[in-house]
Parts: sequence; structure tokens; C-alpha cells
Amino acid sequence: MRISRVHLRLLAVLLVLGLVAAACGSSGGDGGDASPSGGDDGTDEAATDDDGGDDAAPPPNTDLVETLPPDDEEDGGDGPVKGGVYRIGIEAEVNGVNPTTSALSAPGLWMGITVFDTLTAYLPDGSVVPHLAESVEPNEDFTIWTVTLREGISFHDGTPLNADAVVANFTSQHGAPLVGLAVRPFFPPEVADAIAKVDDLTVEFFPLDPDANFPATLAGQLGMVASPAWLEAAAADPALDQEPVGTGPFVFESRVLDSVTRFVRNDDWWGIGLIQDDIWLDAVEFYPLTDTEQRVEQLFANELDAMHTTVSSSVIELQDAAALDEITLVSDDRTEESFAMINTLHPPFDDIRARQALTFATPRDLYNELIAENVNRPADQMFTPDSPYYNPDVVQEADDPDRAAPLVEEYCAEKGTEINPVLEGPVCTDGKINIELQYSGPSLVQTRIAELLRDEGWSQFFNVTFDELLQDDHIQQVATGLYNVNTWRQFGAPDPSRDKVWLMCRTAEAIALNWPRVCDPGRDELILQADTGVSDEEFVQIQQDIVQNMNEAYTYIFFNHTIWAFGYGTNVNGQCGMQSVEGEPLRCVENGRQLINQIWLSE
Amino acid sequence: MESTPIDIIDDQLDSSGGSVAVADVVTDDSVPQGGVAKKKLGIGFWIAVAWLIFIVTLAVFAPILPIKEAEASFPTSRGGPGARAAPSADHWFGTDESARDVFARTIWGARVSLTVGFVAVFVGMLVGGSLGMISGYIRGWFDRVLSFIFLVLLSFPALVLAILITSLINRSLATIALTLGILSIAPIGRLSRAATLQFAEREFVTAAKAIGAKPGRILMKELLPNVMIPMAALGLLGMAVAIVAEGGLAFLNLSVEGGTISWGKLINEGRGTRLLRDAPWIAIMPIIVLFMTVLALNYAGDKVRDYFDVKELSV
Amino acid sequence: MVKMIATRLVLLVSLLLAVSMITFGSMNLLGDPLFNILGPAVDDPRSADKVAQARADFNLDKNLPHRYGLWLGDVLQGDFGNSYANGVSVNSIVGEKLPRSLLLAGMALVMAVVIAIPMGVFAAARANKAFDKATTFVTFGFVALPNFALGVILYYLFAVRWQIFPLKYIEDEGLFMKLKSMFLPALTLALPIAAVYQRLLRTDLITTLQEDFILMARSKGVSRRKVLFGHALRPSMFSFITVFGLNAGALIGGALVVETIFNIPGAGREIVESIIRDDFPVVLALVLIITGGFVLLNLLVDVLYTVLDPRVRA
Repeated sequence: MRISRVHLRLLAVLLVLGLVAAACGSSGGDGGDASPSGGDDGTDEAATDDDGGDDAAPPPNTDLVETLPPDDEEDGGDGPVKGGVYRIGIEAEVNGVNPTTSALSAPGLWMGITVFDTLTAYLPDGSVVPHLAESVEPNEDFTIWTVTLREGISFHDGTPLNADAVVANFTSQHGAPLVGLAVRPFFPPEVADAIAKVDDLTVEFFPLDPDANFPATLAGQLGMVASPAWLEAAAADPALDQEPVGTGPFVFESRVLDSVTRFVRNDDWWGIGLIQDDIWLDAVEFYPLTDTEQRVEQLFANELDAMHTTVSSSVIELQDAAALDEITLVSDDRTEESFAMINTLHPPFDDIRARQALTFATPRDLYNELIAENVNRPADQMFTPDSPYYNPDVVQEADDPDRAAPLVEEYCAEKGTEINPVLEGPVCTDGKINIELQYSGPSLVQTRIAELLRDEGWSQFFNVTFDELLQDDHIQQVATGLYNVNTWRQFGAPDPSRDKVWLMCRTAEAIALNWPRVCDPGRDELILQADTGVSDEEFVQIQQDIVQNMNEAYTYIFFNHTIWAFGYGTNVNGQCGMQSVEGEPLRCVENGRQLINQIWLSE
Repeated sequence: MESTPIDIIDDQLDSSGGSVAVADVVTDDSVPQGGVAKKKLGIGFWIAVAWLIFIVTLAVFAPILPIKEAEASFPTSRGGPGARAAPSADHWFGTDESARDVFARTIWGARVSLTVGFVAVFVGMLVGGSLGMISGYIRGWFDRVLSFIFLVLLSFPALVLAILITSLINRSLATIALTLGILSIAPIGRLSRAATLQFAEREFVTAAKAIGAKPGRILMKELLPNVMIPMAALGLLGMAVAIVAEGGLAFLNLSVEGGTISWGKLINEGRGTRLLRDAPWIAIMPIIVLFMTVLALNYAGDKVRDYFDVKELSV
Repeated sequence: MVKMIATRLVLLVSLLLAVSMITFGSMNLLGDPLFNILGPAVDDPRSADKVAQARADFNLDKNLPHRYGLWLGDVLQGDFGNSYANGVSVNSIVGEKLPRSLLLAGMALVMAVVIAIPMGVFAAARANKAFDKATTFVTFGFVALPNFALGVILYYLFAVRWQIFPLKYIEDEGLFMKLKSMFLPALTLALPIAAVYQRLLRTDLITTLQEDFILMARSKGVSRRKVLFGHALRPSMFSFITVFGLNAGALIGGALVVETIFNIPGAGREIVESIIRDDFPVVLALVLIITGGFVLLNLLVDVLYTVLDPRVRA
């Protein structure tokens, strides 16, 4: 299975947006008492590796999807070894690595957290703790959040990390066309009303609504702090977006587009001594390889030390190899969801009967057998069954064409003469509803998915026209509402309250992130309530209600839970050994990325 | 050596003829072997023709022949062999990644590949052939301008030009076929011009001129029948080139959109590392059929050319 | 001959102008380049400033002939502008990608010659014997096998199945690895060309071998091998040289496909990706350079031909 670069870049951008949301998601690690502390949630599988020599080894996470075999080398008590180049195969090249303006994809975020630090960081349960920030504290009603920075930290270019730097980053994000879509709906329109410098190391954020879960916003792309001097220079010369300057554990060295991007150890990293004794790797190199199989093969051939994938066939290959101890594997399916998404803006899908008919006619079982090869768990909703927010009463309907027939008949009899503006033609022809299925390409996998949906289900009741678009055009049309149905991947914020970006009325504007354009005041009320600092039980109840609400709107046809899998060479140690400043284990894997500062190579 | 611009253009054209010229060169059996002209088509020719008839028949009659649907899946959950199953009595070429029958897809894919081949050559013959003939007959400024246009067209890497044109319009079957037709105008036009030039010097043309025949009549009645024969041979070779070109586009995911299959797309679908290792038939079977077809077209084209002793034309 | 070269150069320049105009015109029709520069923000009224700024920066506020003039002016000073996709200078993109493709093409040509010469000589030496017939058969097959099919077969056999060659293109681990990872892609391009060369050489050699000076040399007792390689080969190379230019065109088309199969980040793949992205400064530069190289090569071939062949010079 091969995914074209273009396709991946699309996913990438989506992911980013997803990650922006995911980043926004999670319980306040500091002040928020609102966080549901579901121990099950968000824990990534972890290796039993430990970390820096003298640091106390963090307790291994116990909630594993894949368990790595114990590292033999470490049983002997050998500590981390300094040196080596960590070669990572990523699924696509990134157009720029500017966290304030580039919509960073999973590969972009992976590069991002290598060169930048986030203000907060996730714990395995999805709550967050301060990271680059010293503290993140709310006022009483969660309408003001005070971020205090650590003293004496500098960016790689020597610029000091201070309140002005944070303000400059936020200002850039707020104004950025794409990144700003996830910021502007939740902050005042004027930047001056949204953020304020208190003193040299202190900044206050003023979200529009009470937001008990704000600190998680700072654990993702929006929490990466870039050098203000570089931001200014990059605004003048976009080519500089390729040469990021942050505070992170590795310093940007060189970048050859479509070939390799190289970072070298930052011996002055603020975390040395605070988090760990040293940074072990000499350098990190990112190799964009859009052919998933090539990434797998090169990992097997020891031409890469690590790679990531979401493609089912390569997940299977990694699992097989891990079972033979040829590689090590970390994977997690509690992040994004794969689904078909329906636009309610235009006929025919402004009518719920047409949406229901499409849902019932969907060959979901066959999708999971042939596309996902049964490695992914089928999804009924955006939560996995082991999530505390999972609503057992919500079931994804599909594979039930008998129920679709009367709906289509009724719809066409009643509204058959309306015009589908996407196809610029009537909504019904010969008793079938005319729709356009939009997907990004050129991509073999996406084409296979489209063919399967059409030929094995929808074509019974729908005349399906394919619209294969380049990723940018695809996003453009989806963002402006010019589609009927598409295949998509998103959700998966560790704290589901952050998925509000996709779901609220205020993000259903002309260009915004509520792609299906469902504006339901009742849903908005639930979403806002979840951020007011409710109890864990109430929070869980609200999430279950939202899932129910989404299910009844028939805008998402969930296929399965996406698996993010990471394969490593056997000489890689410390995959999940990252720690907070307090010595707690941090979340090992987020959508397609993980911290690298704790990794070391044996031999 | 005189060096008027037009001759230079001629030269230039002659050395940039693309694949058609390649076919010329390779099959040039004009090696002195005692000067015996081979005037029979031979068994190989008939085998090639039989294969072409076979594959065209299958493609044309696929809807009424007992061939499986190209898009139908045979998953294990419905009692089928599942994805990536090896060739068997039920599925002669095995099944692909979506558990679809590779044999059925190869036959259905032939419809697109062959259509593109026919249409492209037809367009090239019609436009390029007639332009070349007119240009070769009337000479003058028309010839110069046209030759320069041909030269520009031939200076582009063909595949790049095809991608440019299709991204400019769309990627429907008609556009792809027409694009490849446009691309074949220059090489076909060049050869038709060369052939016309040669025949235009012959006695029968001079004679027709002498009795006062109009240029249109000379072109249609005297030149066309003679130019037709080498063009027919060229047509077979050109079809092979067009089929291969469509394959190249499909291989880059840039051929006919909307899930329409062609041989190139099938090969592209099967060329992943894992698929080649676990289920090589997905790519290899369409490759074999494509190869046989191109081989048959090339061979038949060559034999036709030799049979009519056309080769001296390209000198 | 000076006159001929001069005429050729005039032709070359007008050709390149025509090619650049066609490419420039069609790329500009391809879609709103602003969208490629700014993304979906183009439709957002809030980013009107940025849109206007980008319009001015990339000269998009001028009309088409004006833009073409500006672009041409820059190109004549050796500046191909900046990529729309990421703002990187096109010169650096070309400088990085083109050498890989040139290496690929160069390797392919060398391999083709290395394969074709002995095969051609041996086939000609024993014309119509078993070896000759077998090579005729094989070369015919190679011409009928499209690059992408041959590439897939070679990749399948030598990289996937027998694992003799690496699965990916490796650049930074020394020249040997680089050449090794280029071997299969170059071979994919080389085999069909070698087939053509072999046929040509065989035909010309058979003709040469019947000439008087060869018969004379043979009668003087010069060994068969020495006659073949020493006396007959060189005069039989003319058509060989002629097709050199011809093959450059085929190589470029092949490179698009071969670089895709073998994941070589070269100029061919860059053209395809840039066309898809509507990143037309990159497309323009590469099309122009490749076309220019192609035409220039043909010119060189012609000059070489004139120099080598006394009959043409006269």
C-alpha cells in the first residue's frame, strides 16, 4: 500500500489541525480540577526502558497496546551511551517548520518537538504538567491563565526566552490564516485583548469562555515557542520557515527538501540537569519517505532507526517483526478516527434522510476487512471502548442497505428536483441520489477506499461521482463547504473537550473547522459546560452526551480507530522514557510524534 | 552541405523522432544478406495478429463474456479467497489488495488502454498525417512554420507535455486520449511529410501535374494511397507507443481519474514492496499482458513495413 | 561549419523561447498561483493584506506578457525565482535535484554503451548465427517493455526478492553506496537504449566488415578480434552517435518514471510534483533546462558528426 506524498501532506495538514485541537485538549495539569483523571485514557504503550543514568527510572506505564520486550542491554545496568545519529523515516516532507504559521503535520510536529519545547507536556493519562513553562495557573473562573517562564533560557540564536517571546508567538498564531482557525474562535479578536505581558517572565492569556482545560493547549503546536527574532525574519522571508530556531534539545543544522533534515545536540539545553543528565544523541535526521513500505523495509534493513505509520499493512508487518524481536514497536489507536464525513450545507445531505441512507448503505465491515485488514478496531464513535468517555449506547450504523431503500425513495419523491450545487445538477436521477465523493490524491489507498465505498455499498442507492483533488484544493473545498461527502481523519484529543474546534457553531463559518457545518446550540452548550470546571463524573457524562448528539446528526460514518505505530531498530533505547521536570513519565506517543531528547543508541 | 534553416529543422526532426524512430532502428533488418527481399509475413506475424485479435475481442466483449466485474470484491467474509490470493482456477491471475479479480481487471483495463491507443493514433494520423502531407507537398512558408512547430513539440519531454496538458484540462478518458493524440501529431506528421516529399518527386506525380491536376486532387488521388501504406505500419507502432505512454501516466497516478482502470494503473497498484513480495501477480500479470500486446503491435508493424518495403522511406 | 553552428544557435534560442512561452502560458492558466502560495487563506477576507502583499511579491498583479518579461529578465541573469510552495530559491532546488538525474542519465548511457558494444560486435561478427538471432530476439523484447514495467520487474527481482540492491536511493554514505543504489534505476533506463545501440552497431558493422580495407586487413593476417575492435568499430559509430541525442529525450521521459519507482529525489520527480502542486517557477526552470540541454546535445552531436565524418564535411 502506498500513499502519495501529496495525500500525506493533506493528512498532514489535517492532522495538524487535529493536533492543534488535540493540543488544546486535556485537563489542566496545574490548576484545573476539571480533569477527568481516567487512568485508562491516553496512556501509550511504553517500553520498559529507562533513561538517564542517575535519574530515577520512571515506573513503566502499564497500559500497553504493544509491549516492548525488555531491553536486554539494560538488564546489565549499562547506562545510556552517548553518541550516534538517530535516523527517522517520516511519512511526508513538511513545507515549513514554523509552529506559528505552518499547519504542521505529524512529521512536522515531530520535527517541531525536536527543535522546540512546548510550554506544557502530557502525562500518560492525558493531563498536562509544566514543561518549558515553570507554572501555568488559572484564576477562579478559568478566564485568565497565568504562564510563568523559567529563568535563564535562551533560544538557539541567543535570544532570551521571555514574556515578549511568548506574546510574539501567540500574536503570530492568532493572525496566521490556517493556524489561526484553531485560535481565533476561542480568543478575543484583538490580540491585545487575548494575551498580556505581566512582567519579563509572566504572561496572561484571556480565553473568550471559561476554560478549565487551557494548559493542554500549550502542550501541542500552539505551545511551541519559537525565537521571536527568527519569527520576525521568517515573516519577511518565508524561506526561513525551513530553518527553525527554538529552545529545544536539538539545534537545526541543515535541511535538504525531500531528502533529509538534520538537527544536532543542544549542549546548552535547559533540560540538562533538570530533566536528565545529558542528551545522548549526537544528531537526529528526518528522512521523508512517502512510500510506507519503504520506511518499513529500511527499518528492517537498519537503514533507519525509527519510523512511524498509520497504514494497516505496515502495522501488520511491524507487529510480525516485533513478535520475532527483529524490531521494537510502540503503537496506539486512541488518537484519531477514520471516517466518511457528510456536509449538511447543501442538498441532498441537508436532509437527514439522505445522510441516514448513506450511512446505512456504507460497507463498513468490508472496509475494515479489506482496507484496514482487520488490524484496526472498528469505531462506533470517537472514543475507544477503554476510554472513560466511551458511550456504550452509541453504535455506528452501517451495512444495512434494506433500511436505506425506503429513505432514498421517500427523499427523491419529495425533493428530487432540488439542485446539488456541488455537482450542479439535480439531487436525484432514476431513483438514486447523486452525490460527489471527494478525496485527496493522487493516492492509491484513497482511490481504493473510494472504489470500495462506491462499488460495494453506496452505488445501490447513490450515483457516486469521484472528485480526486490535490490536498490543498481538497482542504480548500472542504473548508469552504464545497463537497457532499469525503473521507477524513481527525479527533482524538486526549481531553475530548478540545475537540470543540470541530464541533461548535462558531467554527461553522465560511472558512472554519466545523466541516460538516452542523450548528447545534444544544451541542455548544454541552461543550462550553465541559470547560467550566465540572466534576469528573459530570465531565464524562457531558462527553457521552456529545457523542450521542454527533451520532444522531448522521454526519460522521466512523470506520475505525487509526493506529499510530512506531517501529524502532533494536539498538534504540528510551523510546518511552521521557520525563517531566518533576520526574514523572510523560506521554510516550502523540499523533505520529514523540520526544527524542531521552533516546539513546546502544552498540 | 547547404544549411538553410529548413534543412536544419529537418535534420533536427530526424534525430529527435522519439520512440517511433526507435522502433524503426531496432527492427531494421536491411542488413545486406545477399539482397534477397523478404516478401512474406511469416508465422510470427500471424501469431501477433492472433494475439491482438484475441485481446481486442476480450476487451470489446467483456460486458457479455463471463468475466467477473472489475470492481467486485471476493473477501473471505463472503466466501471468496480474500485479498492477495494466489492465482487459482477461480481467479486465474489471483486477487489484488482489495480482493478483486486481477484477470477481470486486466481485461477491463484493456478497454481503456486500447481505446487510448486507437484514439491517439487516429488523431495523430488525421491531424499529423494530413498536415505532414500538405506541408511536404506545398513546401514554402507553411512547411517552415509547421516544421518549427513540430520541432518545438518534439523538444519537450513527451511525458512532461502530457502532464502539462492534462493538468490544464482534466483527466477524463477523452482528454488523455486526445492529449496523446496531440503528442503523436509531430512524429507522425514528420514521417508523413518525409514520405510525401519522396513521392512528390516521382514520375506519376510529375505526370499528374503535367496534365494539370489540381494540388488537392494530387494529394488525395496520387499521394495519399502511397503514403497510406507506410502510415499503416506506423499506426501499429504508434499504438504501441500510445499504450505505453498512457501506462506511464497511469503509473504516475496521472491518467484517467475516477477509479477507471488501465494496465498502467494496475501495474502501479501492484508495485509496492510488500505487494511484490507477497503477491507479485498483481503487478506481473498485467505487465505480461501489456508486454505481449506491445510486442505484437511492434512486430506486426515491422512486418507490414518490411512487406511493403517501406523502410527506405525513413532514410 | 561556423555558419551552420550559428544558424543552429539561432534556432536553439528561438526554440527555447517558444518552449518557455508555452510552458509559462499554460502554467499560468493552470490555476490561481496565489492559492499555492497562501493556501486556503486566499478566500479569507481577514487575510486581504497578505493576499495583496503576495500578489505584489510574485508580480501577480501584472498582466501575463509583463510577467513573462519580468521572469525572462531574471532568467537571463541566472535567477529562476522562488518556489511557490516553500519560498526556496528555484536555483537551489535545481542545483540539488538535477545532478542526481544527470548522474542517473550518465550512468544509464555508460551502461548502455558498455552493454551494446560487445553485444553488437559479437552479433555482427557472426551475423545470422545463433548468438545474433538470440540477441535480435532479446533486444526486440526490451524495446517492447516499457520503462515502468521493466523497472518494476528489476526492482522486484533484484531489490525485493534477491535483495542484491538496496530498496532506496542512498546518497550520503559514500560514492559506492550512491552508485550501488543508482544501479537498478540506471539499468532500467539503459537496457532499452542498449537494445537500440546494439541493433544500430550491428547493422553498421556488418556493412563496414564488407568494405575493402577490412578485407585487406584480414588478408594481411590481422587477427579477427583486432579487426573487429581495432579497424571496424570506429568507422561504424556514426549512426550510434546520431541516436545519442535522440536517446536524451527518451531518457528524460524514462527518468520521470524511474525516479518514481526507485524513490530518487531527482529532477524528473520534481517536475511531476511541481506540476501537481502548480509550483510553476520550478516547472519552468526544469522544463527549460532539460529542453535546452536536449537541443544543445543534438547540436553537439551534429557538430561531432560533421567533424568525424569526412563525407559530411565535404
